Amino acid sequence: MTISADAQQKIDAYLKVLRRRLRGLSDHDASDIVKEIRSHILDKAAVAEEVTSDSVTSALADLGSPEGLASEYVTDDLLARTQVSGSPWLVLQSLFRWASLSVVGLGTLMFSVFSYFVAGSLALCAFLKPIHPSTAGLWLLDDPQDAYSFSLRLGFSSPPAHARELLGWWIVPLGLSLAMGLVLLTFHLGLWSIRKFWHPLRGLSLTEAHDE
Amino acid sequence: MAKEEESENAEKWEAQLRKGSLELAVLASLWNGRLYGLEILRRLENDSDLKVAEGTVYPLLNRLKTLGLVESEWVESDSGHPRKYYRLTSPGRQRALEMARIWRRFSASLSDLLAPLEKEKK
Repeated sequence: MTISADAQQKIDAYLKVLRRRLRGLSDHDASDIVKEIRSHILDKAAVAEEVTSDSVTSALADLGSPEGLASEYVTDDLLARTQVSGSPWLVLQSLFRWASLSVVGLGTLMFSVFSYFVAGSLALCAFLKPIHPSTAGLWLLDDPQDAYSFSLRLGFSSPPAHARELLGWWIVPLGLSLAMGLVLLTFHLGLWSIRKFWHPLRGLSLTEAHDE
Repeated sequence: MAKEEESENAEKWEAQLRKGSLELAVLASLWNGRLYGLEILRRLENDSDLKVAEGTVYPLLNRLKTLGLVESEWVESDSGHPRKYYRLTSPGRQRALEMARIWRRFSASLSDLLAPLEKEKK
């Protein structure tokens, strides 16, 4: 098979962008993908054992932009790895990617971030209670307009006026338990949502039909 | 204008339908033995009229591999460059059978529902 210099240049330029955009994939996987796409281009563009500049242009057009191709690889790979391993870090990575692609993904990410923030605040409050015993904790504010107004304080400032602390030292075991429960619940909810609702580029999913 | 919009919606729906069936089509194309990417694309095109974007099939093959439904190997070819061949794993064969069963059941139930529409067309 003979490849013209122009054709080789076009193939190399396409694969260079593809390789650069395959972020998040291991070096081994990214190299394997680039090797496979190179093989595909050569097979597609070869006419009578000859690869010309025009035939490469046509083969590359059929593949789509290297950015778009890399994006599909990264999304599909992330989804598959999340489904297989379900590690918390992968779930969070997937949620960020999903959020950039759909409203449901964005909603799930926002809920998860809020939930992790509440869990973090509860855990921090529990840890700071021994350092600020009289100010850290859950306070009920005496607000004339709102009968039940709560404030979770970390204890760095003075206690709120017209308020009483609700849990006392119970904030330590309760705060830590609640925080742990909330983290576990949010993680599993995120993983469940990804498995149930996120099927990139496959509008009609047969697995969904099977699940139901 | 409304007709154009209607036609556009129908095209979008058809594209979604094709994409939805792609996973099954790829697994089915590998039923009789190993194939490399371009062979899978040609099999889909010739045997099923499922002309899909090439940029969609390769990432899908990569995903099926991560899920353990297919396995791959590099094989040297006469053309001077190696080709990556895919074959179904045992879970992949199970999955293909299960999906085919669901597809047939779904298709049959929809055919019954669509029968009155066909009469209307005539």
